[in-house]
Amino acid sequence: MSDKPGPKAPEQDIVLRVNDLHTYFYTDLGISRALNGVSFDIPVGKVMGVVGESGCGKSVTALSIMRLLPKSSKIIKGDITYFRRPQHNGSAGASDQIKQKSENGQQGFWIDENAGKVQEIRLNDLDPMGPEMRHIRGAELAMIFQEPMTSLNPVYTIGDQISETIMLHQRVNKAEGLRRAIDILEKVGMSNPKLIVGNYPHQLSGGMRQRAMIAMGLSCHPAVLFADEPTTALDVTTEAQILDLMRDLQAQFGTTIVFITHNLGVVAQMCDSVSVMYLGRIIEQTSVDEIFYNPKHPYTSALLNSIPHIGSRSKERLQPIRGVVPDPYSKIVGCPFHPRCNAFMPGKCDKAMPAQTVISPGHNVRCFLYSDEVEE
Amino acid sequence: MGSYILRRLGYMAVTLLIVTILGYIIIELPPGSYVESEVERLRAQGGNLTQGQIDALYRRYGLDKPEYVRFWLWISAFVRGDFGQAFAYNLPVSQIIFDRLGLTLAFSLSSLVFSWVVAIAAGVYSATHRYTLPDYVIAVLQFIGLAVPNFLLALVLMVFAQNVFHMQVAGLFSSQYVDAPWSIAKVLDLLNHLWIPIIVIGASNTAWLSRVMRANLLDVLNMQYVQTARAKGLTENVVVWKHAFRNAIHPLIMVLGSSLPGIISGETIVAIVLNLPTTGPIYFNALIQKDMYLAGAFLVFLAIALLIGNLGADILLAWVDPRIRYE
Repeated sequence: MSDKPGPKAPEQDIVLRVNDLHTYFYTDLGISRALNGVSFDIPVGKVMGVVGESGCGKSVTALSIMRLLPKSSKIIKGDITYFRRPQHNGSAGASDQIKQKSENGQQGFWIDENAGKVQEIRLNDLDPMGPEMRHIRGAELAMIFQEPMTSLNPVYTIGDQISETIMLHQRVNKAEGLRRAIDILEKVGMSNPKLIVGNYPHQLSGGMRQRAMIAMGLSCHPAVLFADEPTTALDVTTEAQILDLMRDLQAQFGTTIVFITHNLGVVAQMCDSVSVMYLGRIIEQTSVDEIFYNPKHPYTSALLNSIPHIGSRSKERLQPIRGVVPDPYSKIVGCPFHPRCNAFMPGKCDKAMPAQTVISPGHNVRCFLYSDEVEE
Repeated sequence: MGSYILRRLGYMAVTLLIVTILGYIIIELPPGSYVESEVERLRAQGGNLTQGQIDALYRRYGLDKPEYVRFWLWISAFVRGDFGQAFAYNLPVSQIIFDRLGLTLAFSLSSLVFSWVVAIAAGVYSATHRYTLPDYVIAVLQFIGLAVPNFLLALVLMVFAQNVFHMQVAGLFSSQYVDAPWSIAKVLDLLNHLWIPIIVIGASNTAWLSRVMRANLLDVLNMQYVQTARAKGLTENVVVWKHAFRNAIHPLIMVLGSSLPGIISGETIVAIVLNLPTTGPIYFNALIQKDMYLAGAFLVFLAIALLIGNLGADILLAWVDPRIRYE
C-alpha cells in the first residue's frame, strides 16, 4: 500500500493537483501558518467539498491556487499544478497573442505543439499578476465568494460586470459580450435577464446577486470553479435554490467545482468527494458516502456528531467538540487536533504528526489510530 | 433627476436671497460708512467740509436713504447686471472685478488642477504601495504640507527663489510685461511666475486631498468586489482605476464642490503676500474700507459659486455612484 496519497489516479482524469502546499501569513503578531502541507487531486468533472471550521485554511487554499493571496502572505513551499485541456485554453484570439510572445523565447508552456494535449502548468511558478496567470484566472479557474452583497461592484451594472470578463477572455466587442452575459444569466435561472443586465447590484436581492456571481464565474466556461461558501450569507430557501442551480449547471457544463463550506448538509447534497481540513492540513479525504457512513478521523466523527439530524432520537444531545481551534500563530507539536481529541493517546499524538495514510482505496486519513506512519 | 435639479435651483434662489440680506447686514454692521472715512481723509488733508458738502457726499454715494431702500436699489440693479460703483476706485464694480477675474481664474484653476492631479496620483500610489518607502516619504511631505501655513510657505519660497534662482517672484509678471500686450513671451513669463503661487496654494490642499484619497482607497481595496475584479483576470491597473478608484472618489468630489468659491476669490492671504493681481486682495480691502457695493458683489459671486459648486458635486456624485439617487 502506498504511503503517499496523490498520484494514483491517472493524470488524464485530474485537472488540478496540489502537493504539500504551505502558505504563511506574515502579520504584526507573528507568522500565521495558514496551510501546513495541503495535498489533493481534483478529478475532472467532479465536485470536491472542502469542510472545516472557520480559520482552518479552506479559503486560503482556494486563494493560493487562484494566486489571489494578500500581500502579507506567501506560498513558501509546495506545488500547484493545473492540467490544462485544449477545450479550456481561453479564446483563440487571446492565445494567439500569447503564442506570439512565446516565439520571442519566453513562456514555453504556451507553445503551440502542446495543442490537443494536456498541458501541465505550475501555477505557483507564475507571477500572480502576470499575463499568464491573468489569462488563466477568470477564464480557466474561476471563483465565487461568500458575500454576494459585497462581491459585485456597486457602481457598475450587472451586464457591465459580467460582460467585462467575457470581453477580456473571449475577445469580443461590447455588444456581443452583453449578449453572452444575457445568455448566461438566463442559464443561471434569472428571470428577465435583458432587464437585469441594466440593473445595479443594489437593485437585486442577495439570491439574485449570487446567481449573477455564478453567471460571472461560469461565463467563460472555466475548468474549475471555486465556490467559497457561496450560500453562507443567504437564507435557507435561497440557499436551497442556489444549490439546486449549481448542481444543475454542474451536470450541464461538466464544470469541476471545489465547494468550500462548513456545512456538512451542503456537502451531502453537492459533493462527490470531501476533504476535511483542520488547522491548515487535510486530515481526512474520501468519498461523500464514506465521510457520512464510515468516518475515520476523530475530528470528522466529532463534526458529524455536532450537527443535528432530523428524525434522530429526541432526547439525544448534540455533542460539541470541546475546546476551540488553537490560534495559528502557535506551533503545536504532534497532531494539531490532540488537545481536543477524545481518542488522544498521550506520548504518541503529542509527539509527532501522523502522515496522510491510505486506509482503503480513495480514503486517506491522518491519524495514529490507523497507522503509525509519521510525517517526516 | 431633471425635476430634482429644477427644485435645487429654486432652493438656490431662496438661499441666495438670504445670503445677500445677511451679507448686507453684516457689511453695514460696523459703525460708520465710506463717506465718514472719506470725510476723515479730507479733513486730515486740511480740507474743511461744511455740513452741506458732507450731505452732498452722502447723496452722491446714495448713502442718504434708509438701509432697506438702499438694499432694494442695490439688489434690483444687481439682477439687471449693474453692480454699482466702487467708492474707493471711483469705477464700476463690474470693471474692477472683471479686470482681475481672468487672471484669477487662470491662476485658481491651474492650482486646482495641480493639486488634484498630484493628490490623486500620490494618494493612489501610497494606497497601493502601503508601508513601502515611497509611501512613508509621501506621508512626511503630506504632514509638512498640512502643518505649514500657506503664507509662511509663500515667504520661504520667495526667499528661496530670489536667492537661488535670482527670480523676481512677486506678482504674476516681470515688470516689463505688466502693461505689455499679450505675447508668447508674456505667457512664458506668466508661467514662470505661476509655479510658486500654485505650489503654495496647492500644498495644503494637495496634502489633505491625497491623505483622504489614500485612506478611502485603502478601505475600498479591502472590499470583496476588488477581489472579484482580480479573480476575473483583470490587470492590477484596471482593478485599481476602474473598480476601486471610482468607489473611493466621493469625498474628493464633495470637496470640489465647496472649492468653487475659492476659484473666484483666490487665496487672499497668499495673494497679498505674493502681490498677485487677483480678486482676493480687492475683496479684502473692500471689506476694510467699507466699499460696500464692491464687497457685496463679491459676496454674491462667492455665494453663487458655492451653490453651483455644491449642485455640480451632487450631480457628479450621482453619476459616479448609481446608489445615490435624488428623488
